[in-house]
Amino acid sequence: MSHTIDHQPPQWPVKLMRHVLNHDYLEEIEGDMEEIYLENLELHPVKKARQLYIKESLKLIRPQLLRHFEGKQQLNTYGMFKNNIKVAIRVFQRDKVYSLINVVGMATGLAIALLILLYAQFEMSYESYNPNADRIVRITMDYLDGETLIDQDVETYPPLGPKIKAEFSEVEEFARTYGLDEVTLNVDDKNFRESAVYAADPSFFEMFGYPFIQGTNESIFRDPMEAVLTESLALKMFGTTDIVGERILIPDMDQNLHVVGVVKDSPANTHLKFNLMISFETMYRFDKDLDTQWNNNNTYTYLMLNRPDQYPAFESNLSNLNDQLYELDLLREELVISQKIKDIHLYSDKSFEPEQNGDGTRVIFLVGVALMVIVIAIVNYINLSTAKAMDRAKEVGIRKVMGSTLGQLRFQFFTESLLVNLLAGTLAVLAMVLLFDFFRHTANLPTTFAFLDQVDFWLLLGVILATSTLISGIFPALILSSYQPVAILKGKYSHSKGGVLLRKGLVIFQFSITIFLLVQTLAANWQLDFMRTKDLGLNVNQTIVVRSPHTDELRGKFAAFKSDLLNQSTFSNVALSETVPGLPTSQQSTSTGINPVEALEDRNFNFYVNWVDEDYLATMQMKLIAGANFIAGSKNENVVIVNEEAIRLWGYQSPEQAVGTKLDMWGDQRTIIGVIQNYQQLTAKTNYQAIVFNYSNDFNSYASIRTNTADLKSQLGMVAEIYESHFPAAPFDYFFLDQEFDKLYREDEQFQTVFGLLTGFAILIAALGLFGLASFTVSKRAKEIGIRKVLGAEVGQLMTLISKEFVWLVLISMLFAIPVAYMSVNDWLDGYAFRIEITPGLFIVPALGVLLVSFMAIFSKTLRVATANPVTSLRDE
Amino acid sequence: MKKTKLGEFEEMVLLVVVVLQENAYGVEIKRELEARLKEQLSVGSIQSALKRMEEKGFLNSEFGEATNKRGGKRKRIYTATPFAQMVLKELKEIRAGLWESIPTGDVTLKTI
Repeated sequence: MSHTIDHQPPQWPVKLMRHVLNHDYLEEIEGDMEEIYLENLELHPVKKARQLYIKESLKLIRPQLLRHFEGKQQLNTYGMFKNNIKVAIRVFQRDKVYSLINVVGMATGLAIALLILLYAQFEMSYESYNPNADRIVRITMDYLDGETLIDQDVETYPPLGPKIKAEFSEVEEFARTYGLDEVTLNVDDKNFRESAVYAADPSFFEMFGYPFIQGTNESIFRDPMEAVLTESLALKMFGTTDIVGERILIPDMDQNLHVVGVVKDSPANTHLKFNLMISFETMYRFDKDLDTQWNNNNTYTYLMLNRPDQYPAFESNLSNLNDQLYELDLLREELVISQKIKDIHLYSDKSFEPEQNGDGTRVIFLVGVALMVIVIAIVNYINLSTAKAMDRAKEVGIRKVMGSTLGQLRFQFFTESLLVNLLAGTLAVLAMVLLFDFFRHTANLPTTFAFLDQVDFWLLLGVILATSTLISGIFPALILSSYQPVAILKGKYSHSKGGVLLRKGLVIFQFSITIFLLVQTLAANWQLDFMRTKDLGLNVNQTIVVRSPHTDELRGKFAAFKSDLLNQSTFSNVALSETVPGLPTSQQSTSTGINPVEALEDRNFNFYVNWVDEDYLATMQMKLIAGANFIAGSKNENVVIVNEEAIRLWGYQSPEQAVGTKLDMWGDQRTIIGVIQNYQQLTAKTNYQAIVFNYSNDFNSYASIRTNTADLKSQLGMVAEIYESHFPAAPFDYFFLDQEFDKLYREDEQFQTVFGLLTGFAILIAALGLFGLASFTVSKRAKEIGIRKVLGAEVGQLMTLISKEFVWLVLISMLFAIPVAYMSVNDWLDGYAFRIEITPGLFIVPALGVLLVSFMAIFSKTLRVATANPVTSLRDE
Repeated sequence: MKKTKLGEFEEMVLLVVVVLQENAYGVEIKRELEARLKEQLSVGSIQSALKRMEEKGFLNSEFGEATNKRGGKRKRIYTATPFAQMVLKELKEIRAGLWESIPTGDVTLKTI
C-alpha cells in the first residue's frame, strides 16, 4: 500500500526533531508539520512534499525551539558533577589539617614511587635499543673445584666464537671483543688518553645495531689496524666526524690506525660501551696463534641466533660442546655457559664485566618498597576519611532523604578522592622536577635521562592515579553510603564496629611495613659498617699509590726513584707492583693451570696473580705465616709467595707443609717460599681469593708509598716533586689506597642512601596518618576527657589513656613485622661472604624508634586536650 | 512603554491569534498570516514567535482535541492574555495618534 507510505513524512527529519527540539513543544510541532505535509501531498507530487517537509524541519532548528543542553535536562550528570566538586572543595576547606595530611602524604608517596619506577624502567631497559637483543647471547666461563663453583669469568677463549658458529646450525653470527686498557692516541702531535677501547670482529656493529655516521659497515675490519670511532671521540680528537681515511698514531706501538668509520655513541643502556673500536685482526699482531689459543681467556664472545626461541637448543648444544672440549683436553675443570644479553646488566655479576652492572634483586626490592610507600599514603586517606565519616553522617542522611541514590553518594566520595589524587599528582610532578637532579645523581642515572617528555611516564602517572583514586575512594564510598538515614537523622547513630576495626587493621598494616623497612635499613647499615671496619688482612690507610710513567725508556729509573722516596723521613716503605688490592677486577690478572708438581691430578683453579717486589708485604702490612719473603738481589725468578686460600685449594694440610714444595706454573716449576695470611683483595662482599705473588722489581704499573702521617695530602707535593725529577715527561698520576677501597662500597652506599630515604618517607607518611587519626580520636573524646578531669583525673593518666590505644597498635605491628623481617634479613645477609649475626638490637632499635615517632605524632594533640580547661569542652552543647 | 517589547512580526501573529479565536493553532495561524501577508512562512518562524510571546506573557495555550489529520497529535490552541489585548490597543492608539499628527495634504507620504 503505497498510500500509507506516502502518508508518512520522511523519517530522519522526524528523528532529528525528536532529538533536538524541546520535548514540551514536540507533540504540537510534529502535529503541525504532519498536517502541513498532508496538505502538501494533495497540492504537490510526493517527492516535492517530502522535500518541503525536510526544508521546514531544518528551519525549525532555532534557539527558541531547541531543547536545553544544559540545566534541566542534564541535571543528574553535569549539574550533579558540578555540585560534587563544589562539595568536595568545601570538605577540604573545612578541615585543612586533614586535607593537608592527605594531599602531602599522597604527593610524597607518588613522587617517590614514580622516581623509583623511572629508575627501575631505566635499569630494565638495557640492550632494548638493539632490535637483535632477544637473540644475542654471551658465553662465559665457570671455574670449578670438583662440583663447587669457584669463580665466574665473562672472558672466554678466542677460538670458541668461530668454532660455535661453524658447528651450531642455530648460530647465525659471532662477534668477539677484546678489552684493551687505556691507550694513548696521537693526532697532530696531540695526545689523548682513551679508555673504553676494544678490538672487535667485523660483525660487531651490525649485531649491536650501531648506525654509521661516516663510512659503511661493508668490508671493514678485514685488516689489522682499522679503527671505528664514536661520534663524540671523533669530535673530541678531530673536531669533525668527516674523518674516514685519517690516521691516528699509537705512540706505544709506533703504528698508525686507519679510520674506516664513525658510529653513533654507545647508548647509556648498554653493558658494553666503547669510544674506540679497532679491528680484531689487529690482535693477531700480538698473538698469531689466537685461533688455537686455549690458555688465555681474554675475549668477550657474543653469538647471534637465528631466532630467539632457539635458545634452549643452543644451550643443549653448548653442553655437548663442553663434553667434546673436555675429551680434547682443551677445557679442564671449567665450563662454558651462556646468558642472554638482556640479562647481563641486572643478573650478571661475574669477574671482568666490562662495567659495574646493576642488581636485579635490588631493583625489584626498591620497586616493592616504593609501592609500599604509596600504599601507606593510600591507607592514610582511607583511615582519615572513614574516621571522619561521623562528621558527614548527617550530610549523607539528608542526601538520602532528598532522594540521592547509592550510586550518586558513592560518586560524591569518589569525586573527593579523585580531587585529592589529582592535587597530589600535580604536587608530585612538581616535586619530581625539583628533586630530579639530586635523584639522577644519587641513582647514578645518565645525564640524558629525562621523564617529562616521555609518554610512558604520563601513562604510568595516569594508571597510578586511577588506581589510587579507586582504592582510596572505595572504602569511604562503601561505608559512608551504607548509613541508614533514619538512624542518622534521629541522632541514634554511633561508630560502626566495622569501621573501627578496619582502621585499626590498616594502622597495624602501615606500621608493620614501616618496622620491616626500618629493620632492613638498619641491617644493611650495620653490614656495611661491619665490612668497612673488618680486618682486611692488610693496611690500606696512609698509603699513596703512584702510577708508573707509560713510557718504556723511563721505567729503568725506578730504583733511583724508590731510594729517593725512602730518603724522606715521612715515608716508611715503598713497594712496586703490577697491581694493588682494591682496584676493580678489570685491573687484576687471573690465571688458571697452576698446580703442585706432586699433585695427583691437575686442577684448574683460578688464581689472582700479582708481580711484586721484596717491599710489598711490608708496605701493605700483610702477614707472613710461614716461610720467607723475597730477598732483594737474589734470584727470585722461580719462587712464589701464595696465600692460605691457595694452599687450601691445592690440599696442603698446613702452611708449613706447603713451603718448599714446587708448583707447575706456565711451563716451568716454581717453589713456594712463603705463605701469607688471607686478605681481602677486593671487598668483604666476596670471599677470600687464591693469590699467587711472583717477583718483579720493575716499575711497571704502581708504586705504593706508606707514610707516617694520616695527612696524605700534605705528602703529595713531596711525592710529585720526586716523581717529576725522575720522570719529567710523564704526568703525575696518583690515588689514595683507602679511597680506592672505599669506591668498591660506593654502590652499596648509594643503595643505602636511596633505601634509607625511602624508609624515612615511609615513616613520615605513616606518622602523618597517625597524627591525623589521633587528632580525630582526641576531638571525639573531648567530652569524656573533660568529665574525667572534673572527677579528678591527672594529666598523666589522661595521656596514658589516649596514647594506650595507639601504642597497642604499634606493638601488634611489631608482632607481625619482626618474624618477616627476621627471615628477609637473614636471607639477604646470606649473600655476603662475611656477615653480621642477627642480634635482638636489630629489632629493638627500630621498634623503639617507631614507638617514639608514633608517640611524638600523637603527643601534641593529646597534651593539648589533657591540659585544656574541662569547662571548654563540657560547655559546648 | 518600558514594558516587554512586542516585535512587528510578533504583533502580527498576536493579532492573528485574536482574530482566529478558538481556531488559533499553529497551522491555522500560519495559513491566515500567509494569506494576509501574501508570503510563505516557515513553521519554525511562527512557532518561535508563539513560544517567545508565551514566555513574555502575551499568550496562553492549551491542548485541543486530536485529529486524524495530524497523525493523532493534539493541536495547541493559543489565546491572547488580557495584558496582550491591552498592549495591542495601546500600540493601535499610538499608531493612530501618529497618523493623525501627520500634516494634512501629505497623507499619501512619499513613495520611497
